[in-house]
Amino acid sequence: MSDHEDGVAAFARAWAKAISGTSYIPMSQGELEEQLRLLTRELRDALLAEPFSIRRGYRVGGSLVRAHVVSAEGLGRTIEVLDQRLLRDLGLADTGGRMARLLGTVSTGYARALRDRTLDEQESIRRAAMVAREQAEHALRESEARFRHQATHDSLTGLPNRALFTDRLHAAFTVPGRRLAVCFVDLDGFKMVNDTLGHHAGDQLLIEVGRRLRRSVGEHLVARLGGDEFVILVQDTSCTEDALKVADAALTAINEPVEVDGQRLGVSASIGIVERETEGSSPSDVMRAADVTLHWAKEGGKRRWALFDAERNENEIARYQLSSSMPAALERGEFFVDYQPLVALDGGRLRGVEALVRWRHPTLGVLRPDTFVGLAEESGLIVRLGAWVLREACAQARRWLDVSPEAPFVSVNLAVRQIGDPGLIAEVTDVLERTGLPPARLQLEITESDAMAGVDLGVLDALASMGVRLAIDDFGTGYSNLAYLRHLPVRELKVAGAFVEGLRTGDSPVDEKIMATLVALAHTLDLVVTAENVETAGQAARLRAIGCDSAQGWHFGHPGPPSVIDAQLAI
Amino acid sequence: MQRPEWAPESIDIERPSVARMYDYYLGGSHNFAVDRAAAQAMITAVPEAPLMAQANRAFMRRAVRFLAARGVRQFLDIGSGIPTVGNVHEIAQHEMPDARVAYVDIDPVAVAHAREILAGNAQTVIIQADLRTPEEIVKHPEVRELLDFSQPIAVLIVAVTHFIPDEDDPAGLIARIRDALAPGSYLVLSQASGEGRTEEEAAETFAVYRRADNLVRARPREMLLPYFDGFTLLDPGLVWVPLWRPDPTDNTEDADRVVFIGGVGSLGE
Ligand SMILES: C[S@@+](CC[C@H](N)C(=O)[O-])C[C@H]1O[C@@H](n2cnc3c(N)ncnc32)[C@H](O)[C@@H]1O
Repeated sequence: MSDHEDGVAAFARAWAKAISGTSYIPMSQGELEEQLRLLTRELRDALLAEPFSIRRGYRVGGSLVRAHVVSAEGLGRTIEVLDQRLLRDLGLADTGGRMARLLGTVSTGYARALRDRTLDEQESIRRAAMVAREQAEHALRESEARFRHQATHDSLTGLPNRALFTDRLHAAFTVPGRRLAVCFVDLDGFKMVNDTLGHHAGDQLLIEVGRRLRRSVGEHLVARLGGDEFVILVQDTSCTEDALKVADAALTAINEPVEVDGQRLGVSASIGIVERETEGSSPSDVMRAADVTLHWAKEGGKRRWALFDAERNENEIARYQLSSSMPAALERGEFFVDYQPLVALDGGRLRGVEALVRWRHPTLGVLRPDTFVGLAEESGLIVRLGAWVLREACAQARRWLDVSPEAPFVSVNLAVRQIGDPGLIAEVTDVLERTGLPPARLQLEITESDAMAGVDLGVLDALASMGVRLAIDDFGTGYSNLAYLRHLPVRELKVAGAFVEGLRTGDSPVDEKIMATLVALAHTLDLVVTAENVETAGQAARLRAIGCDSAQGWHFGHPGPPSVIDAQLAI
Repeated sequence: MQRPEWAPESIDIERPSVARMYDYYLGGSHNFAVDRAAAQAMITAVPEAPLMAQANRAFMRRAVRFLAARGVRQFLDIGSGIPTVGNVHEIAQHEMPDARVAYVDIDPVAVAHAREILAGNAQTVIIQADLRTPEEIVKHPEVRELLDFSQPIAVLIVAVTHFIPDEDDPAGLIARIRDALAPGSYLVLSQASGEGRTEEEAAETFAVYRRADNLVRARPREMLLPYFDGFTLLDPGLVWVPLWRPDPTDNTEDADRVVFIGGVGSLGE
C-alpha cells in the first residue's frame, strides 16, 4: 500500500497544523505529524474497505483523544480538514456517501473517548481532593492530639501533669458514695542531687522515678505535679489498707539505687496519704491534707509514708491559729506576768521570784507558757515577747525595791533565740537603765540544753560583766555536764524537778545521794543551787539537810500576781 | 481551643487553584467548577491564556529532553502542578530510562493526585513543600533518598516564580537551592513577564489570579537574570519560551504573545 504516501504526508501535515494549539499535545509538531500519518492511512483504509466498517472511524476518533487532541476545537478542525482535503490529497472519490459516514463515526468515536477521559479525570481529581482533605484533617487531628497531650502531660517524664491530675480528681468527686486516696510523693534530698550533680542528673533521676512509679502502682493514675513532686490517685478504694499497699509498692520501687551519669545514687521518697470518702470532702481539702501529711512523713524521718490523721491535723491547725494570733495579742496586752517565790532553805527568806508569762486568751482563758512559748520560739515572736516580759519584770522588781530593801530579785527566762539576737545586750542595758533596777537584782535563766547547744559565750560574758546574774535552768534534764559549766559565767544552778521528785517520800536513797553529790559539786564551783518543783515539807527538809541553798515550788508558793509578793514585803 | 500553629491549611476546593486552572488551559479535566470559572474569566481577559500555558509546557518538555539527552539523570521539579499529560518523568524516562524525578508542589490536591499517579513508580517521588522554604525541599528525606545531591540535578522551576512576591526574594530562594547542588547541575526556569504589554493589559491579565489563591508578579527580563546567578545561561539565553530551542517544525510566530520568558542555566563544573 505504498501508493498515496505523498498524499498521506501532505494531509497529515495540514491536519497537524489545523489542530495545533487546540490543547496541549505533549509532543513536537513532527511527532504529531507522524501520529496523524498513521491515522490518515487508517482513514484511507476505511474509505476503501469492503464492506464499509464503522469501527475504523471510531478507532481514529479514539486515537485522536489518546494523542491528547482533547478539545472541541480539535474535533471541529479535524472534521473541517478531513472534509476539505482528505479525498483530494489521497486522490480518492467519495463512493456511496462513505465520506459522510466516516466523518460521523470519527466524531462519535472521538466524543465517546473524550467523555470517558473527562469522566476518568474528574473522578481522579475528586479522589485526590478527598484524599488531600482527609490527610489535612488527619494532620489537624494529630496536631490537636499532640497539642492536647502536651497540655496535659509533663514533657520530662511523659507522665500526666497537674492539669490532668486535677481534672481526674475533680471527676472522681462527681461520683457520690465513693472512697478515694491520694498519695503525695516527694523525693528525699532531691535538691542535693540537683545542686551537686547538676540539673541533667536531676532530670535523669526524675525520669527514672517516674518510670518506677508508673510500673509499681498498676492502673492508678500517676502524675508529676512539678519539681520532685509526684502524686498517685487511687480511685474506688474500699479501705485505707488499699492506699497503704499502693504507697508501700511505690516506696519499694523508688528505694532501689538509680544509675545516673555512671553514678549509683541512693534514692528514697516520703509519701503523704489521704484516704477518705468523697462525700463531705473536696479535691482541695484532699490535696491540702495530703500536703500536710507529706510534711509529717518528712518530719518523721523521711523514707516513709504517713497517713493523714484528722486529730493531729486539728491540733496543728489550733497551734497554728494560736501562733498566728500571738503578735496581735501582744499588741492588745493580753499577756501578763505571774511571779513565783524562790526561797532560801536556810531561814526561809524570799530571795527572788521567777517571772512566768501568761496569756489571757479571749476564748481559751488563761494559758500557761508551755502552751505558747514553744510556738513563739518557732515563729520568732519570742524575741519581742521575751523583751516585753523582761521590761515588765524589771519594772515590777524596781517597784518592790522601792517598797523594801528586802525585795527579791527577778529571774527571767531567756530563750535561745533571744540570746542569739544581736539587740539583747542593748535591750537589757536599756531596761535596767530605764527602770533603775540594779543589775544584780536581775537574773537571767538559760536552760541547760540551750547552754550546752553552744550559745554565744561572749553574750553571756557581757551580761555577767554588767552584773546581771546568770542561772542554768532545768539542770539535770540533759548531759548535766558540770565540767562544762566551769567555763560559763553562771552564778546559780536550778535543778530540774525530776531529781526533786525522788526526795518526796524519802525512800529513794539513790536520788538523795545524787542530789547531795550535785550540790557538793556545785558548791565547789561556787554555784548557788536551787531545787525546783518542791511540793512538800519533807522534800524541803531533805534538801535543806543535803545543803541545797534555795527552793521553788508549791510548797513555797504558787505563781501569782505581784500583789502576793507585795503582801509578803509589807509584813 | 485555638488552632495550633502547625495545623495544616484545610483543603479548600471552593477556591480556584493555580494548579487546576493550569490543567484546564492544557485541556485537562482535572479541575472543578470554580477552577473552570476562574480560568474562563482569564480567557475572556486574555484570550491567549491557554496558548501561554501550552507554550510554557512545551518549553519545559523541550528543556527536559535536551537535558536528558545531555545525560542528566536526576530532576527536581518544584511547582510541578497536576501531573497529567507529559510529565517530567515520562519525558525524561523516554530518553533516559533510569532517570529519577522528585516532584514538589505546595498544593495538597495536586500532591495527592500525583501520589496516586506515581504510585508504583520507584523512580519518582512527590512531596508537599513550599519553594519559600528551600531547605525543607533539598533536605527532605524522601527527596534525599531518591536524588543524589553529589551528582548533577536539573532543577525545574517552571511557571512558579511569578507567584512569589518580591519580598520573599525569589533570587535568594533559588540561590539557597543552588547551594545544595553539585557542579554540572542545571536550572530550568520560566515565569510570566509583563514585557511588551501596556500596564493596563498586564493589570488585566494578572488581576484574574487575584481570585485564585495566588497573586501574580510579572517581571521584566532583567529581574529574572539574578535567578541564574552562579549558573551559565545556555543558548539562546532568557527568551520568550517558544524561541527556546524550538523543534524545526514548531511555529514561532508571535512568540511574545505567550508572555512567558524562560531559559536554562548550567552550574559550572
Ligand atoms: C502554573 S503551575 C506550573 C506547573 C508546571 N511547573 C508547569 O510548568 O507545567 C504553578 C504551580 O506552582 C505551584 N506553586 C505556587 N506557589 C508555590 C510555592 N511557593 N511553592 C511550591 N509550589 C508552588 C502551584 O500549586 C502550581 O501547581
